[in-house]
Amino acid sequence: MIREEEGTPRRMTRSNLCEPKTPIQATSIKKTSSQFDQTNALPVSSVCMTLDDLHASLPGRRMQVEEILNLLGPLDSPMLPLFLYGGTSTGKTRTIVQIFHHLNRPFVYVSCLSCQTPKILFESVLDQLASHKRNSGNGYSSFKQCDRSSDFLELLRDAVFSWRQKSSNVCGVRKEGNGKMIYLIVDNLEVIRHWGKNSELLSLLFKIHDITRIMDLGLIYISCNAGPEIYYSSASSTEPVPIFFPDYTEEELHQILLRNHENPKLYNSFLKLVLKPFFRVTRRVDELSLAFKPLFQKYCEPLTDLSVIPDVSLTRELYQRLRPHIAFSLDEIFMVTTRFSADATETSEKTIVRKRNARKLVCEELDFHMSISAKYLLVSAFLASRNPATLDASMFDTKGDIGKQKRKRKNSETTMQKENTKAHEMLMKGPGSFSLERLLAIFQCITSVSDICVDEDNEEVVGDDNEVGLMSDVLLQLSTLCDANFITKGGSCPLESTRYRSSIDEDMISKVARTINFPLSKYLYRG
Amino acid sequence: MEVTEASLLLRRRLCDPSYIHSIFKSSPDGNYSKLKFIISNSINEACNNSVLLLGPRGNGKSAVLELVLADLKVEHPGIISVVKLNGLLHGDNNNGLKEIARQLCLEFDLPFSKMASSDENSELLIDILRECGLAHKTVIFTLEEFDLFTQGKQRVLYSLLDALQFLTSQAVVIGLSCRLDADQLLEKRVRSRFSHRKLLFITPLKDDMQRLLEHLLLLPKETNLSSIYVVEFNSRLYKILDSKEFKYHLKKVIDIDNNISNLVMFLYRAVCSMDLKSGFLSLENFKKAISYFHPYPKQESLRNSSILEFYILVCMNRLDAKEQISFNFNSIMNEYKAIMDAYKTSDNYTRNVCLRAFEHLLERGLIMLTDNNVRCQSIEFRPVKSLISPQELHQALKAYNPCPVLLLKSFNNECFK
Repeated sequence: MIREEEGTPRRMTRSNLCEPKTPIQATSIKKTSSQFDQTNALPVSSVCMTLDDLHASLPGRRMQVEEILNLLGPLDSPMLPLFLYGGTSTGKTRTIVQIFHHLNRPFVYVSCLSCQTPKILFESVLDQLASHKRNSGNGYSSFKQCDRSSDFLELLRDAVFSWRQKSSNVCGVRKEGNGKMIYLIVDNLEVIRHWGKNSELLSLLFKIHDITRIMDLGLIYISCNAGPEIYYSSASSTEPVPIFFPDYTEEELHQILLRNHENPKLYNSFLKLVLKPFFRVTRRVDELSLAFKPLFQKYCEPLTDLSVIPDVSLTRELYQRLRPHIAFSLDEIFMVTTRFSADATETSEKTIVRKRNARKLVCEELDFHMSISAKYLLVSAFLASRNPATLDASMFDTKGDIGKQKRKRKNSETTMQKENTKAHEMLMKGPGSFSLERLLAIFQCITSVSDICVDEDNEEVVGDDNEVGLMSDVLLQLSTLCDANFITKGGSCPLESTRYRSSIDEDMISKVARTINFPLSKYLYRG
Repeated sequence: MEVTEASLLLRRRLCDPSYIHSIFKSSPDGNYSKLKFIISNSINEACNNSVLLLGPRGNGKSAVLELVLADLKVEHPGIISVVKLNGLLHGDNNNGLKEIARQLCLEFDLPFSKMASSDENSELLIDILRECGLAHKTVIFTLEEFDLFTQGKQRVLYSLLDALQFLTSQAVVIGLSCRLDADQLLEKRVRSRFSHRKLLFITPLKDDMQRLLEHLLLLPKETNLSSIYVVEFNSRLYKILDSKEFKYHLKKVIDIDNNISNLVMFLYRAVCSMDLKSGFLSLENFKKAISYFHPYPKQESLRNSSILEFYILVCMNRLDAKEQISFNFNSIMNEYKAIMDAYKTSDNYTRNVCLRAFEHLLERGLIMLTDNNVRCQSIEFRPVKSLISPQELHQALKAYNPCPVLLLKSFNNECFK
């Protein structure tokens, strides 16, 4: 459940930029980022925001706001490109968008997160410039077809020009205040770095100013976690002016989290308790607000009246009740959902979704249904991954006893130590890979050992006479397990047979082993 | 009103590369004069020519070229046409020839066919060049990002330079590149058709810097700004420029990077922070502008790490010091557990929390995974390395305000014994 929410806060902070909100409230509103792109084509808000409002809506960002205002300058002043960077959830996008609402100047916003190919990015920019909305009337087609970067720059030039003409025609009636500058905000630039072949796009974006020489187009780049030095190789002759957004300090976080609460006093007392330990772990608003939501509910549980103003004794009492939950909730909230690296997430969204589902399945229903032979197969895969292949013979020797082996090792302490470190290293290296043959051999062994319990379940898996049938069945099970991502398939080298790798952790496998009464620890090699 | 206008003027100057580089027009042995001489020579003598402008980014290659072309267009009206190509946009060969044909068609009012093959386009190029040669018109091809044209088969360059081999044609090919070895990238057949004229654009000398500053910041006398204001503004500016403190700051900026673009960025920041009430640039503005220069960007993101993230970095550092060749999250976790077991502290977090902090570090780019292919391997098993040096970490720990004693202690134990 938690993991589902994991991905969303960033999106929501992006989508609700236009409305003043608190991070906490934002989590309850659901919108997609594409909606933001569509509905706010060249937004010029009707309500003017004063400078004080602006500062009030962006706590802790006074320095940055003032600097950006300076750099943007008064109406119609040309500008060098800006480059906003800083950690995740430090208010970069929100700051810039709020500033434009304050200045009441037109802008085009594209995020490389929602525009996942250059074509979509280009067309989104052009659509917004032409105030073109995709709807059923035009068959959801874009204003202009634009695939190549050379076309894009030509079209961009035309679009800016025609936009200016259009606005100057209208401007006769409209009050002045918009000027002839238009701003292009490109968000999440860091995503493009992983687009691979399209890394040229990055240098193209940075060179828009250089190549087109449109003085009336202000460019603003936003990059998360990647400073200007990362983009140095693709920079243009006019380097963008960098503006750094530091992470929020503890007081600033307190201020942000406290905003728009029904009972600020109560929440204040709550924050005083929990913010400190959490702050030592993370400084991100999105993670903190997510973590505090269930905690605050716990905190309020003993209270009947939520509008109560807490005094010292009540606070202490509430704290005593809450304290055991803090460490637990830390563990729960910050559980890393996808165990796979960031770049893998970007490359294969689909598989990740599948993997996530698989993991969720494991954690939520501890007693999910699975055929006995599949369970055995899973256990044998786990053993094959964990145990060194050289020890297989002694481990699964049905006649030999393990005690003998132990005695032998005790003989010399140095060799034992050496083996210790070796095993330790193996654990570090993670699950090893194994061939299909080894998996089948182990499977044979463990099923033959625990024949009795298999018989109890009337599942005749092992038998000399129907070996061929068994083989085909097991292979089918194996492919199912691979699909469920309990076992991952390694790269298939044509010379070698396919290597497999078990991808489930020990807790899980011990649960599985318990359901089939399999003495897992007896077979697990622990150095 | 006057003040806004003045600041607008300054901004406009700083944003316009051709204005910035127009200062180098006057020097007789500058690149401007050389380039102008080369091009006007080939216009007057009706011959073909090619030249490379090389130099680091932001030193005014394209700005100077643009100035030269603009001047020549005034001097020789009607006989110069320019075709602009950019390696980034037109690097691959179909695109390049098509773009050349498109621009030529536009220039000479010919119908342009989108469907034309590249052979047809190169024929068109040769025909137009011949016609231009007969009419004593010069076609100038400017190839920005010249090095990108050399990728692949170099067919654009070849057909362009090959067309220049005819006596009748009259064209100049100008390549701009920030790679100083751009001519070495050429294929043999292309290189032999290329005249090896090169102009090198280097960063300006110190005297030039001073002139450049005045060129950019002094207000002109002949504008609609009142002369009292202009005189006052300029005299104040001179005072600042001559002051020792400013020179010290300027040296700092130039020491970081002596590109013109870097200087322009510095000035832009100063001009932007100009107080519109008083209307004069002050030393404070320049000081503020320099405070934004961060020569050590890694320190910034390091300083933003949380305490747990610091613990992980320290653990990695300890593992490094123990000369463990490669380690992963599990080994880091063991190290962390060892520290936590040795000392009783409140910072003992569970594995999940640590893994999250570990991911934050990855996102921040302070550490990186060293293998790149394994997709199926879980993150905690993949080998990882720290991208910050012990010195950097030490500095950051010292700068971190309420830094836990234990953290410093466990760091010092291993490193600076």
